[in-house]
Amino acid sequence: MKTRILGLLAAVSLVATLVVGWRLPPTEEQAGYARLIAVHPALAWTAYIAFGVMALGSLLYLLPATRSRKWDRLAGASGEVGVVFTALMLVTGSIWGRPTWGTWWVWDARLTLSALMLALLFGYVALRKVDMDVDRRAIISAVTGVAAVLVVPINHFAVTWWRTLHQGRSAATLAPSSNLDGSYLRAMFLGMVAMMLVYAWLLIHRIRLERLEEENRGADLAVALAERRAEAHDGAVSGAPDGGAVVGS
Amino acid sequence: MTAVHQPSPPVRATGTNRRRIAVVIAIVVAAMGFLVVKGLGDATVYFLTAHEAVQQKDDLGTRRFRVEGLVTDTVRPAGDTVEFEIISAGIRMPVSHRGDPPELFKAGIPVVLEGRWSDDGSRYQSDEIMVKHTNEYREQNPERTDDYVGKEQA
Repeated sequence: MKTRILGLLAAVSLVATLVVGWRLPPTEEQAGYARLIAVHPALAWTAYIAFGVMALGSLLYLLPATRSRKWDRLAGASGEVGVVFTALMLVTGSIWGRPTWGTWWVWDARLTLSALMLALLFGYVALRKVDMDVDRRAIISAVTGVAAVLVVPINHFAVTWWRTLHQGRSAATLAPSSNLDGSYLRAMFLGMVAMMLVYAWLLIHRIRLERLEEENRGADLAVALAERRAEAHDGAVSGAPDGGAVVGS
Repeated sequence: MTAVHQPSPPVRATGTNRRRIAVVIAIVVAAMGFLVVKGLGDATVYFLTAHEAVQQKDDLGTRRFRVEGLVTDTVRPAGDTVEFEIISAGIRMPVSHRGDPPELFKAGIPVVLEGRWSDDGSRYQSDEIMVKHTNEYREQNPERTDDYVGKEQA
């Protein structure tokens, strides 16, 4: 029920972001394309946060004092939801770049690192799908999750440290007068709130699904064991033609 | 796949285990750092600035490179090329661009160009213009959008 309220809030703020973003006035430099400031930075920040939560869950799992399945589930869910936001960040960035820069893609530091973010998440999600012991997989995933988050601060400061086609940080300072008129700053933060709510909503659902899957796997195993036991029992009673064949092969 | 399913003992982090995890993390971190520094070598010098390109003209020869600068108000179409100057740190660099500039191209904006010095070194021959918009978001023609601003602040 509470999740439903969260979902509703996410939907409302998302619509509000689109409306406010659409109504943003054109800027001196970018004309109408500046509207994308309502969507693109918010997706990037949320992707960063997804990385952060993945790393936090991983760290809590790695620390013996806090080791618990729930932290592994949190990390896994955040990594998976992070794929959505990272991919959308790349897509909206590319769409923004075409008319303003004049190109869909360049291999500057910011864009290269952003592509690396998606590659890392794909690797992380794939790792979690490898068929192995759950505890072992959780440890390996957690180490990977903690290491992967390093890309975030590097990418955040990439536009300051290196020469990039990508613009510098929009909200390096929060004062509207610095480089953003107030309406653009507000639209950017509204977008941020909306994406965060969507992220939280997706995250909660993904964690629930993961927990159900784990319970279900446990139940499946119990059922399978019971069936095998029953078969073995039946076989022993009726002279075990099947069992005999297996031994003979 | 090869793993035999057996109930794994609950992983209690003993001293050895913890050390092993720390070593693994350290190795992964070092490897990542190495890859980032190494792999980004190219991306970090994504472009030269106009004054660097002018200073290093002899070394650069007719090799292709990217260059960044502010377009001065010298833009003029000449046949199938566009002639203009870019400037950085007070150094001007004449450019002859072949092809259509992107939509937002105009005087007074920073651009990144791809191309090379001409054979005689008199100008930079570019065949790709990328408009490097800044992080300035300033409303144009504020009077036209008074209605909107009024509502926003109400």
